[in-house]
Amino acid sequence: MFRIYILKRILYGALMYIVMVFVFSTLFNNVADQTQRSQIDEQIRQEVRTLKNVTEQQLQKYIEDRRLAKLNQYHLNEPLPSRIFWRAVRTISFDFGNATNLKASNGDRLVLGIILEALPKTLILFTTEVILTTVLGVALGLYMAQKPNGLLDRVSSGLTMITNGLPAWWLGMIAIMIFSYAVPLFPSGGLHSNPTPQGLAGFIDFLWHLSLPLLTLVLLSVWGTGYLTRNIVLSNLQEDYVMAARARGIAERRVLFGHTLRTSLPAIMTLAVLGLFSSIAGNIIVEGIFGWPGIGKLYFVAVQANDVPILMATLSIETLFNMVGFILLDIIYGFLDPRIKVGGKA
Amino acid sequence: MNVRDALEGLRDFWREFIKVKTGLVGLVILLAFVALAVFGPSIVPFPGATDHWRDITFWQDNPQAAPPEWVNALPWVSKKGVVSSFLSNPKLSDEKQESGVVVRTCLFTYPFSSDEPPRDVVVRFEGEGQVPVDVTVTRPDGLSAELYREQLDIAAGVLQRVSVTNNCAQSIIEFVRAQNEDLASGLDADLIKPTSILFSRIDPSLANNPTMLKGAYTITVTALLLNDQSRFQNPTIVVSGHVSGLLGTDVSKRDIFTGIVIGSRWALIIGILTSLITVVLGVVLGVIAAYFGGVTDWLLSRLYELIYLLPVLPFLIVISAIFKPSIWTLIIIICLFFWTGPYKPVYSMALQIREETYIEASRALGSGRMRIIFRHIIPILLPYSFAVMALSVPAVIVYEASVSLLGLGDATIVTWGQVLHDALGQGAVISNLWWWVVPPGLTIALMGMSFAFLGTALDKILHPKLKTR
Repeated sequence: MFRIYILKRILYGALMYIVMVFVFSTLFNNVADQTQRSQIDEQIRQEVRTLKNVTEQQLQKYIEDRRLAKLNQYHLNEPLPSRIFWRAVRTISFDFGNATNLKASNGDRLVLGIILEALPKTLILFTTEVILTTVLGVALGLYMAQKPNGLLDRVSSGLTMITNGLPAWWLGMIAIMIFSYAVPLFPSGGLHSNPTPQGLAGFIDFLWHLSLPLLTLVLLSVWGTGYLTRNIVLSNLQEDYVMAARARGIAERRVLFGHTLRTSLPAIMTLAVLGLFSSIAGNIIVEGIFGWPGIGKLYFVAVQANDVPILMATLSIETLFNMVGFILLDIIYGFLDPRIKVGGKA
Repeated sequence: MNVRDALEGLRDFWREFIKVKTGLVGLVILLAFVALAVFGPSIVPFPGATDHWRDITFWQDNPQAAPPEWVNALPWVSKKGVVSSFLSNPKLSDEKQESGVVVRTCLFTYPFSSDEPPRDVVVRFEGEGQVPVDVTVTRPDGLSAELYREQLDIAAGVLQRVSVTNNCAQSIIEFVRAQNEDLASGLDADLIKPTSILFSRIDPSLANNPTMLKGAYTITVTALLLNDQSRFQNPTIVVSGHVSGLLGTDVSKRDIFTGIVIGSRWALIIGILTSLITVVLGVVLGVIAAYFGGVTDWLLSRLYELIYLLPVLPFLIVISAIFKPSIWTLIIIICLFFWTGPYKPVYSMALQIREETYIEASRALGSGRMRIIFRHIIPILLPYSFAVMALSVPAVIVYEASVSLLGLGDATIVTWGQVLHDALGQGAVISNLWWWVVPPGLTIALMGMSFAFLGTALDKILHPKLKTR
């Protein structure tokens, strides 16, 4: 039963992903077609340069033949629905083609290469942030729930409200103004100092560059996570089994960490897993402000350079990751909460 | 439910509401913002700014990148800069001569007490026809300098400007020459700062290290109205200083306080309108999915997942870059994303309500589905919806600000995000122009906070009631 549930869930997810790629493909159709046509022309021009000992007529014929072959290969001679379909198919099979303008640091123009180059940098900053936020936030939430309306609870609840509508990028700007210019403790941006030190010094230099954006992000979002955890745990503390546990004389600490945390886990997991999987998208503006060359910055540069292959690839990869997180979550739910899998309904 | 019941319910709600302090704080801040949005544009120092925010000539007499006025009051600021000010309401006197010419004299008094000269002093006026104009300054030491004398041919409706820095360098050297020939010979009209000489003692230190002459300066603007068609109106003197207004100015000389005030209107419109539409959409769709079930439920749930999984900001940015939407289109696009917020909770609540006996009774009486949904289910969910609505406002405002920050917003309006976009683009962070960066972000945070306070308070009051149903 549980296996069917998992299978069903994955199938639904795959279907959904395909639908979304079709949406992107439709959205970008016009610009993407133009990009691909000009790329084909460029490629043929390069091929022509290598040809020798051909007459003008042969050359013309060669160009036309090659062009037709290429257009057919990418289905560009076909009607609109077909073009959208084939682009979606290429995207799903991870064949993103070449970028229009952007290049990887080694001069390569393959979209996948460019994205894979930016991805680790985003992971280091934002995935670390999600992990830190979750661990600290859950701990904070538990302490808040221990004494509702206590000092800690009131202070952090207030901070939650304040940080609720606070844009992370604005806090980043302020942090740079204070800690990079007024009191120069941290660098104002980038991954490394220039020139980059070698070995251990290089690693410390990297951590030093990482700390300001990481601190800004964690200090901004830890309160929200704490508040949510507190609410989840508090609602569970009102359940009968908690009263029963207390009546049996079980220590308050064990009630909190042993009983309540266990039942609160699915909801807390939701936060963590969704946050973890969406963290690969980075944050377009925060990365821009801290000069952090991750996915978010790549995305924004691609928007400005109108580089549709990169945009399409980034969007579909981010969506894929969100989807995987979503499915994984449902499966974990099935493990943690037996009631779900009994129904077998997705 | 009749009107009296509704009023009674409202009174009960208010009695509960005033017990939650954070909710009251939120309400007060929100009302302050509403007042600012409604009355602000007419009380700001630069009234026509809503239509002229990107008009360079509208702001040309302001100082560039000047800190707020109140930095002069800070104890650690040693050099007190000149406060930018407008001198209007001069002492006017008309004298009719025998030839029929009217001599109009306008007397302005300017108390000067700073350690630095103003950046510029500009005389502005409107008029019509051939008008000889003369500008003379009488200094506290009794000397008087004729800065400007010109016969102007003025077209109606065109603002005339006489700037001391740009138009009066030569006449200031002449003024120095009349006092001290040697001193004047060392001055070059292209190199001197005219205001610096005008507001200094005339002594040998003038060329290199002038000493400021403090006291009351009288500026006399005289215009000759040669005939009945000639006009000379609205003389104003603008002193362009080093500090300006409540929140200073930006690199384009715009008054930031004015920008913040006129931006509050859009923040409120975007926040409230978007959250209203999304909540209505989310609640109605959630109830429909729960009540109808079957295919409708399946389709709506897939749609929900589809939108929930889409990376919002990247998608918004790409849409903005491709279609260059107006603010109304942007609001609609944001709505398409945000209805997923209330959808799931409403869906599960509606599933419970559907099974209640009074719904069954209503169905037995022959009520249609729509009647049951809109008369019986949605009214119960309404209070909860208000809480969700208030809680979703901050995110909406931040999203609009993010899109604007990237320069993809609607360029015909002024929003806080756009003020920050200009600040970021023109290096406010690097040049430490904090008065340009801090206020817009602070207002975004403050408005978000007020809605968060309100939403949590509403949630606290309304949620238990929902559970007892």
